[in-house]
Amino acid sequence: MEIKKMAMAGTLESSDIQIMLSAGTNGYEFELESDVAKQFGDQIKATITSVLQAYAIDNAKISVVDKGALDLVIKARAVTAVQRALEIVDTPNWEVL
Amino acid sequence: MDTIRELYLTDKVSQKNWQTFLMARGISNFNQQEVASIDQTIGLYNEENQLVGTGSIAKNVIKFVAVCDIGAVAKGARFNQLISELTSRLGAQGIFHQFVFTKPAYVTSFKHVGFQALGVTELGAILEKGLPNIKDYLNQIPKFPNAKKVAGIVMNANPFTKGHRYLVEQAAKDNEVVYLFVVNADVSLFSTTERLELVRQGTSDLTNVIVVNGQDYLVSFISFPAYFIKDNDAIIRYQTELDASIFKQQIAPALGITARYLGSEPLSHTTNIYNESLQRILSPDITVKILKRATWDTQIISASYVRQLIKVGDVSTLAAMVPATTLTFIQNNLATLQLRISKGQNINGN
Repeated sequence: MEIKKMAMAGTLESSDIQIMLSAGTNGYEFELESDVAKQFGDQIKATITSVLQAYAIDNAKISVVDKGALDLVIKARAVTAVQRALEIVDTPNWEVL
Repeated sequence: MDTIRELYLTDKVSQKNWQTFLMARGISNFNQQEVASIDQTIGLYNEENQLVGTGSIAKNVIKFVAVCDIGAVAKGARFNQLISELTSRLGAQGIFHQFVFTKPAYVTSFKHVGFQALGVTELGAILEKGLPNIKDYLNQIPKFPNAKKVAGIVMNANPFTKGHRYLVEQAAKDNEVVYLFVVNADVSLFSTTERLELVRQGTSDLTNVIVVNGQDYLVSFISFPAYFIKDNDAIIRYQTELDASIFKQQIAPALGITARYLGSEPLSHTTNIYNESLQRILSPDITVKILKRATWDTQIISASYVRQLIKVGDVSTLAAMVPATTLTFIQNNLATLQLRISKGQNINGN
């Protein structure tokens, strides 16, 4: 699947995460800002990557600002960002969820 | 629990509260231009309904941000809540590439919410967030890693004259590669598209000159918000130094630029200050070469003089001032250009 438009989900408040998606040409290109990037950076990227793969997105630029979000929050924000980016907010992909 | 509400500056009482709040936090420049450009302002209110934070949006820029941390659940929480709301609002408008202009002291706070510094000086800083960003911009510009002498020129070229041509020729002679950035601003007689095209045509014979659109990164420094600068005299210094710092900290290192060429400025006070700021910020890492301006007879060739000639329709003098490519464009579009002037398009300035 191709990203149709840029999209964003989440906030910058404590325990949340803001994820911005835009079309890419070179796999997944991450930019991550997090106070715990050293400890959990790879885990955060892995969670988002699994959501992108579930939606069969091959290329994306992903800009992430993490404020200490738990895994389930990261997944929820990633799903919302993806659905906005693919313009399928009204017809969620239940099998993925 | 703090809540966010609209803050309507058109309402006199709201505006007074807003100004008092900002002034108590060191923001005191409420000049017409800064305030009139605001599209929306939000206020953050505590449980007692007191204003404890505010921020504004002007196009793709976040400005007039101030926060009071007294009584907050955690230091920085209110700031994050405000910036979060402002970035979401911009996102809802489809604006995912956002800028902040602020005091150098707040660079760290903005970095924590995902902004990246493009330029930082003693007086101010510019940061960006979102996509496409400076990396994407620099990626699409051709690079010459083996070239040792690479020059940069930034020009408005409104329109491209023989004076511009002289500057480019000299730089092209002295260097292996010349990056020629055309400032992105649609506020004067010639549009960015027209200026870019005339620069391309006017330099097409110089094979080592690369013409580049300045896009979001080489803009008119006058457009930099200065709401946090108290002293009017310091505003131009802040704006020009910030412009120079973007060039030095982002553009030059990525493209291997070692010299910047400028025309001397006997006519415009502002541009003269700009040249001084460039020398102060760029040297010694980047050599600043100031060339004496080209003249015709005793007249210094300048784009502002060319615009005056267009206004009065003096085609024969124009022929001496601009290259054939620019002259053809002016002749073909003289009526349109004059119509723009008579409709009130500003042709003074640089």
